[in-house]
Amino acid sequence: MSKLEPIAIPPSATAVRVQSVTKTYEQWQRSGKGRNVIKNLIKPEKKVITALDSISFNIQVGQFVAYAGPNGAGKSTTMKLLCGMLQPQTGEVTVLGLSPQRDRIELMRRVGVLFGNRTELWWDHPISSSFEWKRVVWNIPQKKYIRTREMVVELLDIGNILNTFARELSLGQRMRADLALMLLHEPELILLDEPTLGLDVLAKRQMISFLRRLNQEKKTTIVVTSHDIDDLEEMAERILLISRGHLAFDGGFEQLRKVVGSLCRVILTMQGKGVPTLSCGTLLSHVNGICEYEVDISSRSIQEILGEIATIPGVVDIEIKKPPLEQVIAELYSRWKNAEEDLAY
Amino acid sequence: MAANRLTLKRWLELYGLYAKMDLAWFFRDTKFCLMAICADLISNIAAVTGIFLLAWRFDGVGGMGKYEVLFMLGYVTVITGIYQLFFSSFNTGHISRRIGRGQWEHMMIQPISIPVQLLVEGFIPVSGSSNFLAGGTLVAIAVANLDIHLTWWWIASFAGSVLISMIILLSLSYLFSAAAFYAPAQAEEISSYVLDSTGELSKYPLSGMGLAIQIPLLTLFPAGLLGWFPSQALLGKPPLGLTPLYPCLVAGLLFFITKQVFMKGLDHYVKAGTNRYSSVGHRR
Repeated sequence: MSKLEPIAIPPSATAVRVQSVTKTYEQWQRSGKGRNVIKNLIKPEKKVITALDSISFNIQVGQFVAYAGPNGAGKSTTMKLLCGMLQPQTGEVTVLGLSPQRDRIELMRRVGVLFGNRTELWWDHPISSSFEWKRVVWNIPQKKYIRTREMVVELLDIGNILNTFARELSLGQRMRADLALMLLHEPELILLDEPTLGLDVLAKRQMISFLRRLNQEKKTTIVVTSHDIDDLEEMAERILLISRGHLAFDGGFEQLRKVVGSLCRVILTMQGKGVPTLSCGTLLSHVNGICEYEVDISSRSIQEILGEIATIPGVVDIEIKKPPLEQVIAELYSRWKNAEEDLAY
Repeated sequence: MAANRLTLKRWLELYGLYAKMDLAWFFRDTKFCLMAICADLISNIAAVTGIFLLAWRFDGVGGMGKYEVLFMLGYVTVITGIYQLFFSSFNTGHISRRIGRGQWEHMMIQPISIPVQLLVEGFIPVSGSSNFLAGGTLVAIAVANLDIHLTWWWIASFAGSVLISMIILLSLSYLFSAAAFYAPAQAEEISSYVLDSTGELSKYPLSGMGLAIQIPLLTLFPAGLLGWFPSQALLGKPPLGLTPLYPCLVAGLLFFITKQVFMKGLDHYVKAGTNRYSSVGHRR
C-alpha cells in the first residue's frame, strides 16, 4: 500500500484562527393571514437567529478536530466561514494565515472542502473526467497529479469506478470519489461537513480509517463535523462542541466524559428473569435477564460495586462500560437547554 | 501572485478543458448529442424563417428589403449562436438558476476568479456551435445579395457590434438574475424569462413601427439593439438618426448598472447566506 508523504510544516503553526466571530441570520416570520398583508409588504416581521455568538478558537497544524453540536448550532455556518462562502458580521477568521474573503483564490489552492450533502463531481461524466477537470482548474503539475491520483485511487479503492458516471455510483462510492477528488491537490487543511452522512457501516469504516491515516502519516489538518459522535471520537483527538452559537466545550473526548461526571454502565446478565437492585446504581433497562445500570464511580469504588454484585444470586456475567459518548452529549445538550429555559423565565 | 495570473495559455487551457468535456459527450452519446444539435438548429432556424418568408412574400417589411431582413435575422442568429456556444451550458448565462439553487457555493471553492469561471465553464464548441455557423451562413447569403463593400473595417465593425450586443444580452440576464440573491426560490427562473422575451423581440424588423414601440425597445428594454439597430447601422442606415455608436453607450451603461447591482446582491449573499440547495441542474 502507498505510503503518504508528510508535508513540511512548523509543528506549532496555527491552521485556523477564529476570533470573536459573530454570525446572525434573519428569518422572515410569515403568518399567511389576510390582516398581515400590508405589514408583510411594508415591514415584514423578521427574527434574528444568532448562529455564532462571539466565538473564538484556534486549531494547530496537524490536528484532527471534531466540530460538533446539535441541529442549528452553527456547524455548517462555521465551515462556510472558514472557506469564504460566508462573511462574519464581526470578528476575524484566518485560515492558513490567509483571509477566506480577501485571499479566497490562494486559500482554495491549499484547502480541501467537502460537504456530505453535495458533490463536486461532474454528474454526467466518468470520475476520471472530474479528476482531469480538477487537474486543469487547480493547475496541478502533471507529475504531482499522477502521483497523487495513483495514491488516492489505491487508498480509497476506487480503481474500478474511474470510468463510471458519478450519477451511477452508490452513495459510499460517490463519497470516496468525492474525497479522492478533494485530495488531488494535496490540501494542507481539509474541511469536512458531515462526510459520513448516509453511509453504511463498511463505507463509514473505510472513510474513517482513511482520514485517520491521512492525518497521522501526512500530518494534514482536518476539521470534521458530524452528527455521529461515536464516529467523531474514533477519528478526532479534540472536540469543539458548540451550542446556540457558543463554544461550550473544547478538549479531549475523555475530558468531555468527565464534564458530566464519572458515570459508567454496569450490565448484569441474570440466570433467570429477576431484576436485582443495586444500591449504588440506577436501573436503566432490563430485557430477557440483561439488566443495565448507571453507576457513579466517583462515590463508590469499583471494588465496592463488584463486592455488592458478588452478593446478588444468579449473576451469570458482568460488563462495565464507559457511557456512550452520544449519551454524554445528549446529557450536555439537555443541561444547556434547561439552563436556557431557566434564564428565559 | 504569479500563480493567479491568467496568461493566454491558461485561458486556452481552461477553454480547452471544457471543449474536451463537450467532445467527450459527443463521443459517449453520439446519437443524443446529434439530436440535441439538430433540435437547437431547427428551433432557431424555424424562429427566424417565419419572418423571412413574410419579407420574401412582400419583398421586404417596413421599408427593409428582404435581404436586409435576412441580414438582420442572420445577425440575431449569430448572437443566439454565440450565447449558445459560450454561455448556454452549465447555466453560466442563466445565472439566476445557479444562484437560486444555492449552487453559487460550488464556484466559491475553486481557485479561479468568479468572472473567469463564468466565461469559460459554458464553452461547448461541439454541441453548441450549430447556431453560430447557421447565423454566419445567413449573414453571408445576405451580404452576397446586398450592396455591401466588404472591407476589413466593415468586418471589424460587424465583430465589434456583435460583442456590444452580447454585452447587452448578458447584462440584461445578470441584472435581473441579481434578484435571486434576495429571493432564491422566486427568482430562480427569472433569467429564462428575460432571455426568452429578449430573444423573441430581437427578431422583429422595427423599421415600420411607430416611435412608441421603437424607443422603448432601444432604451428601457433594449431588444432592438440585439438585431434591428446594429444590422441597420452596419448597412449604413442607423435608425432614428442616432449615431451608430449608440449601442456602445447603452452597453456601457447597462454593464455598469449590472455590475453594481450584481455585486450588491453578491455582498448580500455572502452576508445572509442561503438555506436553499439543489444538487441537480448544475453539472450535466
